Amino acid sequence: MKLPDTAPMPHAALAPPEESSTMIEVENLDFYYGQARALHEINISIPANKVTAFIGPSGCGKSTLLRCFNRMNDLVDIARIGKGRVRIHGIDIYDPDVDVISLRRQVGMVFQKSNPFPKSIYENITYGLEIQGISDRKRLDEVVEKSLRGAALWDEVKDRLHTSGLGLSGGQQQRLCIARAIAVEPSIILMDEPCSALDPIATSKVEELIQQLKGKYTIVIVTHNMQQAGRCSDNTAFFYLGKLIEFAKTEKIFTNPSQRQTEDYITGRFG
Amino acid sequence: MPTASSTAFAPTRSVGDALLNRNRFRILGLTPDDIIKYFFNGNAIVAVVVLALITIFLFREGVGFFGKSQRDLRLYRLAGLEYVDFIRHEVDEHTAMTRDLNAARLAEFQKLTAEGKTPEQVTAALASFDAFANAFGDSIEDVRGTLSDLSDVAIATKTKARVNEDREEQRDMLLSAGKKEEADKIEIAPVNFAAETGVMKGTLPAFRKVNDQFADKLGAALQSSPHVADPKFQAKIDAVHAKARALIASLPQIEKNMENWNYDAPVPASKAVTSFLFGREWLTASFWQDWYGIVPLFVGSLLVSIIALAIAVPLGISAAIYVSEIAGPREKGIVKPYIEFISAIPSVVLGFFGIAVLGTALRWLSQTPALSWFPGFPMSERLNALTAGCLLALISIPTIFSLAEDALNNVPKHFKEASYALGANRFQTIVRVLVPASLSGIISAVLLGFGRVIGETMIVLLCAGNRIAIPDFTQGLGAFFQPVHTMTGIIAQEMGEVVKGGIHYRALFMVGVVLFTLSLVINYVAQRIVHRYRISIG
Ligand SMILES: Nc1ncnc2c1ncn2[C@@H]1O[C@H](COP(=O)(O)OP(=O)(O)OP(=O)(O)O)[C@@H](O)[C@H]1O
Ligand SMILES: [Mg+2]
Repeated sequence: MKLPDTAPMPHAALAPPEESSTMIEVENLDFYYGQARALHEINISIPANKVTAFIGPSGCGKSTLLRCFNRMNDLVDIARIGKGRVRIHGIDIYDPDVDVISLRRQVGMVFQKSNPFPKSIYENITYGLEIQGISDRKRLDEVVEKSLRGAALWDEVKDRLHTSGLGLSGGQQQRLCIARAIAVEPSIILMDEPCSALDPIATSKVEELIQQLKGKYTIVIVTHNMQQAGRCSDNTAFFYLGKLIEFAKTEKIFTNPSQRQTEDYITGRFG
Repeated sequence: MPTASSTAFAPTRSVGDALLNRNRFRILGLTPDDIIKYFFNGNAIVAVVVLALITIFLFREGVGFFGKSQRDLRLYRLAGLEYVDFIRHEVDEHTAMTRDLNAARLAEFQKLTAEGKTPEQVTAALASFDAFANAFGDSIEDVRGTLSDLSDVAIATKTKARVNEDREEQRDMLLSAGKKEEADKIEIAPVNFAAETGVMKGTLPAFRKVNDQFADKLGAALQSSPHVADPKFQAKIDAVHAKARALIASLPQIEKNMENWNYDAPVPASKAVTSFLFGREWLTASFWQDWYGIVPLFVGSLLVSIIALAIAVPLGISAAIYVSEIAGPREKGIVKPYIEFISAIPSVVLGFFGIAVLGTALRWLSQTPALSWFPGFPMSERLNALTAGCLLALISIPTIFSLAEDALNNVPKHFKEASYALGANRFQTIVRVLVPASLSGIISAVLLGFGRVIGETMIVLLCAGNRIAIPDFTQGLGAFFQPVHTMTGIIAQEMGEVVKGGIHYRALFMVGVVLFTLSLVINYVAQRIVHRYRISIG
């Protein structure tokens, strides 16, 4: 098995943009929905404890790649990996020995549409623990408080923990989903357009939260909002038609992209 | 196209014409849009009107029952049938005890025979018991005699009153047809209820003596009761003792009731309603008195429905979960149409199957010695509540399955994804997220399944055993293996043979009204639940 760090990258532009330990390593990944190829030969090394943004036009495969990282694509009947590997902590997550359940506990996910369960705020947070068989009330109370504080939501909901999570505002619901994701203490958090349904104030709260979280978690965020990518990510990857076009430090992508397509896209001259 | 500047203040001709099209295609002054609208409108109105007519008809025919029943109950009192029934109940209680003794003897007889005793030995062993049982049975003879005498009197009075009623009716008909002379010829000798019942009440002192003798004889019989070795047998005898003592103790009360009884006491207006809704007897074409109590039918319907749902709910919901969450597209394509196909089987065919196969198979199963510990086994009847319940379950599975599957499919996909993304396995996702989120949908699926079952007729008519009696719930689970009759079954069975407009006919309509109301309530509740659920999810 090749060591991820020393593996020669096919394109210089796609090498990890800075010295840092690699958390997610994608190697020559081809991905299909039925006969349609959604991802072509993706190679990318996502560094640990940084925020990595995925940008690109609609339908270019950002969500598909993101969902490869926690194998959510397993839920899609027609989805399959053509070739290539995805390694997390150096382990091939598509290896038959890998336990998907523990993988998903390591790789949390926040969805585009906030999706709290139709349960109380408290139960939303504890869900991930209860399915692991943790039922110690004291422990759960601690985790609820810690996760809600972590998601900067504690002060707003501490008096109504046992009311329905669906009764919160859109922005609060999204932060609740983040709190729910961090309650199981993952090492990676995947966010698929987490702010697309939020107003600017709620968005800035979530962005602040991302800044606070990045020391402890590796965050991968899909966004259509260039400013957002610029504001809160360390590295940015640009995708186009299922291919990774460019992956570099965020400032570099936004100030001095090396690919023409990247430049066109971020300056809005696309199409 | 003219340029914008030249037409800035007036629309072009063609646009104006299109907007104000006065010569569109019309039939009878209606545009095609109007026609379509009225067509669907009309259909909806027809449906609503027909439903309203059915409802009105049902209620009109049904409500007349209470007036007739009220008169019937009044006659029951006037003619003294009620008085005689005090004695009848006493005799019936005694008869029930005699039956208990016979059953106990039969069990003991079988036990002794099974132990290998010869018939002579068995008879010898049971000789003292037989002496007791005979004395017990004979003790009532004189009471029975009185009962039969008084019954004749009461029935004669009732018949006279009935004849008068018929004549009155005839006369009214003639009068309304203008044939006054013929009408006057019809003689109506009013029945003197006071005198007739006075005769009956006059026998009360004599009956008191008869009753005292009965108490003495019964007491003596109880004294002579043998002690038997078999504790089970003894327990049965003891139970009869207790009942007999209670009967003896109640005799003074019975006599008092008879003394206080008055043929002329008014029958309260609510009596007809209560005796229908809470009456425990449905007895028709009886020489004595007809009773239209819905309770046995209602309980029968409920019992078979409970059995059906106990089977269909787990199966239907599990199948729904399987199809919506677990099965691959291919299995789904097989399982779903298959289950839905069940509802295409005519229920009379299922009824045949129940009679020919299921009833026999279930009874055979209940007779296997390995299952004899099960309460109520072996079943005494081949067709009973269980047989009907099993088939009704089959009928309601498609309903429950389809609606529950819909409810599960309606759970937004993102709940499921959120659960999996947190590391839940499939089972946890189903049990903790999908089922709770679709619970109200599932509950209404069950309710509608219930509605389907309670309204089903053919299967219960063919397979429920059609015994009009409240099952003996003291047998616990055994109650499920007794034959019952149902509200739907009774209507189907008796409607063909009743006189239109008569009390029996109207009673059946009242049963229909109850059934209709019940279905309406079930549907309404189910809809409310679904509605609430839509709001809370959306
Ligand atoms: N479940 C699916 N079944 C079939 N094809 C799919 C499925 N999901 C996505 N695709 C296809 O895969 C391609 C990539 O989709 P993907 O959702 O990853 O795009 P995206 O970059 O996330 O787009 P967006 O920015 O609009 O979310 C698209 O062409 C899409 O049509
Ligand atoms: Mg997407």
